[in-house]
Amino acid sequence: MLSMLLMILGMTIITVSILVNQITKSTFNKNNPNVDVVVGAKGSPLQLILSSLHHIDIPTGNINYENAKKIIKHPAIKFGVPISLGDNFQNFRILGTDTNFFKLYDTKLKIGKLWEKPMQSVIGYNVANVTQLKIDKFFVGSHGLIDTGDVHSEQPYKVVGVLKKTGTILDNLIITSLDSVWSLHSGQNDNDKNLEVTSILLQYKNKASAFSFPRLINKKTNMQAASPNFEISKLFKLTGEAHKITNYLSVLIVFLSFAGIFFTLFNNINERKYDLAILRTLGFSKRKVFSIILIEGMTIAFLGSLIGLLFGLVIYKTIEYFSLLGKSMITGQFEFFYEIFMVWMIILVISFLTCLIPCIKVYKQNIRSTLINN
Amino acid sequence: MLICENLSFSIDGHNLISDINFKIKKEKDLLITGPSGIGKTTLLSILSGLQKPTNGNVIYNNINLYNLVENKIDYFRGKQLGIVFQNFNLINTFTINQNLQLANKNLDSKDNDHLFELLERVGLADKSHVKVSKLSTGEKQRVAVARAFIGKPKWIFCDEPTSSLDDKNTDIITNLIKEESLRCKASLILITHDKRIQKILNFDQILKLGEEL
Repeated sequence: MLSMLLMILGMTIITVSILVNQITKSTFNKNNPNVDVVVGAKGSPLQLILSSLHHIDIPTGNINYENAKKIIKHPAIKFGVPISLGDNFQNFRILGTDTNFFKLYDTKLKIGKLWEKPMQSVIGYNVANVTQLKIDKFFVGSHGLIDTGDVHSEQPYKVVGVLKKTGTILDNLIITSLDSVWSLHSGQNDNDKNLEVTSILLQYKNKASAFSFPRLINKKTNMQAASPNFEISKLFKLTGEAHKITNYLSVLIVFLSFAGIFFTLFNNINERKYDLAILRTLGFSKRKVFSIILIEGMTIAFLGSLIGLLFGLVIYKTIEYFSLLGKSMITGQFEFFYEIFMVWMIILVISFLTCLIPCIKVYKQNIRSTLINN
Repeated sequence: MLICENLSFSIDGHNLISDINFKIKKEKDLLITGPSGIGKTTLLSILSGLQKPTNGNVIYNNINLYNLVENKIDYFRGKQLGIVFQNFNLINTFTINQNLQLANKNLDSKDNDHLFELLERVGLADKSHVKVSKLSTGEKQRVAVARAFIGKPKWIFCDEPTSSLDDKNTDIITNLIKEESLRCKASLILITHDKRIQKILNFDQILKLGEEL
């Protein structure tokens, strides 16, 4: 029983660890549509990346729109798009941008059209599914990035388009024009000089600019430039250590389980060697008795690891459902199930080898002396 | 026919049995007698394929038992031989029915009717659900007999089947073994130093260990 519990625990931790680590990595990769650099207000560069590209943190502040336009026109920049955050609808972020934003992502409209005037919006696939918003329906945004109930009831948005599923954070966004965002926030539509955006997403003409351009922004302006790839790999370096410890722990627990299975079988054999000898007198072959013991051990290993695997999936889904990060995770990535399946197979193979030792002891049992000694 | 040729068995250079020879025809009975410690149980182990002899052959109907691989010997034992051990060798934590089912399972038989008929004949039908550990010695011996006859074996080996029984139970068990042997058309090879058995049954052959008759 203890060996089965250890097997369940070990397999659960391994499953959760693989899923969280791999799906998080994959989500971060897929959420970045080849943006080379993000320019925003000074603050934590990681926070700027998380808020502007992955939409899981609050922005570092705002930057002047006039300055943003100048940066987009900089000779080192091939393509740039401003974004403005600030509101949400039922916890789905409302993102103000221009229609060039869609060029960054490989996406198409499932139904409807892009906005043509302020307060029209295009919604992501998950937004449509969860909120039940449809074309020509109206909704009012709440102030802030999480639903606080403080609504902009004076100016509702109208849904004019629904995006196809992309498997990226785009599925969780409500996208509208910058004018819409500015018109909801007082004082921001007086003249262009006072307008602000959250950040700009940029692609370089030449990758060599990755060295000079951020230095230019960081030194010569009151803004900061952050590289998504650099910041995310830094984040994974930090979390990687914790991930390693979790992995070592789960491997240790699984090995304790192997030891548990081994000693359980060994004790069972010692206690039941007389019964096993009787089976032989009844004509049970060595192979048959061998397989009885093997099946007993492998049942513990198979059931324990299978239950652990299922527990792991349930725990992962629970984490995904309740966590902020989880909401922006891309679900249904079956390539990781292959990795888990391989780990499961390795565990079963080691369990099999562990079971073989007690089975060989049974195989070599001398029936006559066992019966006489009893 | 069962032929024993020059059977010997020794452990650590000490001869337990040496140069045993006998032949027994199909459906004929053999009584093996001799004092305690002479190697009767060892002989039974050799005849039933549980212990390889140091020398000699055990031949059942032209099949030299110890020329077979071990798994084939086990298979042969399961299909052709029935053994009643001196100390019963039942699984005490199992019920009577479970003990019989185990033997039946090895025969790949799905017919359970004959198990109940067998239990009826040994007088234990109403106790089939009782654990072996709760049975009397006489009852245990009857279970052991029933188990030995499950596969309708052609050769029945009994090792001191009455050594721990009173006169009444000795009479019952001995007759039971004989009746079931006749029913299966099996040869009975009985090992004992219990003189009561010789008064109850007539054997076609008697082998006194150390003497050939």
